[in-house]
Amino acid sequence: MSAFVSRIGASVLSTTREVGGVGLLFLQILRALFPWPSMDSRELWRSLYRMGVQSVPIIMMTAFFTGAILVVQSGIFVRRFGAQGLLGWATGYSTFREIGPILIALMFSGRVGSNNTAELGTMTITEQIDGLRALAIDPIRYLIVPRVVAMMVMLFLLTVMGDIVAVAGGALLGKVVVGVDYPVFWQSLFDNLTEWDLLHGLIKSAIFGLVIALTSCYFGVSARGGAVGVGRAVNASVVASAVGIMVVDCIMTLTLK
Amino acid sequence: MPPDEKRPLPLLHRPPILIGAALIGGVKTGRGLLRTFFRTIGLALSGERERGEVAKKMYDIGNRSLFFIAVTLGFIAMVSVFQVCLQLNRVTGDLSKVGLELIKLMVHETAPTLTAMMLATRVGAGIAAEIGSMVVTEQVDALRMSGVDPVRYLLVPRFLASLVMMPVMAIFAFAVALVTGTAMAHYGFGVNPTIFVDFSAVTYGDVIIGMSKCVAFGAAIPVVSGFCGLTTHGGSEGVGAATTRAVINTSLAVLIIDFIFTVLGFMIFPPTAAAL
Repeated sequence: MSAFVSRIGASVLSTTREVGGVGLLFLQILRALFPWPSMDSRELWRSLYRMGVQSVPIIMMTAFFTGAILVVQSGIFVRRFGAQGLLGWATGYSTFREIGPILIALMFSGRVGSNNTAELGTMTITEQIDGLRALAIDPIRYLIVPRVVAMMVMLFLLTVMGDIVAVAGGALLGKVVVGVDYPVFWQSLFDNLTEWDLLHGLIKSAIFGLVIALTSCYFGVSARGGAVGVGRAVNASVVASAVGIMVVDCIMTLTLK
Repeated sequence: MPPDEKRPLPLLHRPPILIGAALIGGVKTGRGLLRTFFRTIGLALSGERERGEVAKKMYDIGNRSLFFIAVTLGFIAMVSVFQVCLQLNRVTGDLSKVGLELIKLMVHETAPTLTAMMLATRVGAGIAAEIGSMVVTEQVDALRMSGVDPVRYLLVPRFLASLVMMPVMAIFAFAVALVTGTAMAHYGFGVNPTIFVDFSAVTYGDVIIGMSKCVAFGAAIPVVSGFCGLTTHGGSEGVGAATTRAVINTSLAVLIIDFIFTVLGFMIFPPTAAAL
């Protein structure tokens, strides 16, 4: 019995420590961004390229399959109710507002977030971060802030591209599998959706980028224990990013409407 | 002439070389993956197992993920119900069919797929990290030297455990999502729980599709992430790279399998104009 209670206590303590660590990291990053952003610009460009440009193929594939699955699932309702004119609206609505940002953020976290944690984790256990400190270079400004900014910007842009690809894939499969013509699809999408639906999703994706960046950098920098520690840090970072994305999504959906 | 620092690849030659390299790499990886998959199935069917290994892995995959799955799927269900009810209020205002349709969708689509994506993230990363660090610290070579097949020792228990645990976690996730979705509909939009929780639209086809998706996901996740773990190279950096590869590849595998099963299900069990 007491073992059970102490296990609950231990997990609450470790979760609190992680949340607190992420919060402290966030404050340190804010200090480097206000009143004037000061970061290493070469690292920034390098991060923007690696995280954004090199993630494009995989995000586009994910987005295409997302749109396709959405349309085939809605096809069941369309056939049942004969509601051809609703397919475009339903696909666009769910893609822009929810499924697009969440799935693209999860894929981004899986690729860029875990890569980032692995890189920072390896640098930590090979004492390169301590080396930076010994050379009086602030690791936050040199390493972490460029990555956080790059991840937020790139996830935002990738979500824009991913939304377009998902809806296009949905239109294609709507014609092929469900039998809804392209003009009907696009008309119902443009008639019923507003810019706010798209913006709602894009604001969420920017916040997701911040969550992914903070968790992956925190777990990378706090990795301990050699190669095994790096693997464990990547695992923990991916899990924490996913939970963070879900919780933030819930909060933002309820507040943004 | 092979390119080097002073003579980089000529610009015109780059696209075919890159595409060719990607294709060849893809074919090699695909062949290795398929070979690992069939060896795992064969060894699993042959029946020789370590005592208690499968149960330990089932605990790792299932019990340790309970909180994670509950939180993620609970929140997703709340958000989905919120968005659907919000939009329907704008259009018609009749929220009585929402529970019916959402439950049907959850059975054959959202519960298996989302559980699998979450578990692919957690379990896939864990398996690849574990096996990857074993490769890097040369423990897998030691296994081979002792005459133990690494696939049998490492992959088969995780394969069997995942086959069993994936449907179980999907059912658990469905239950959690049902509870949180009903709560959101009731407290947010005033829908009576007895109207919302309506299983009458769920057919045998839905259950068959959902369960077969779970089994397929359960087979794919440990094999893909175990393969990424076993092909680690390069020290601690390699472990990180392998874990990243595992998460991406398992998530992609889940999406592709889901797409195939959805289209197949649509064709095998065509949706009829059911009596509502």
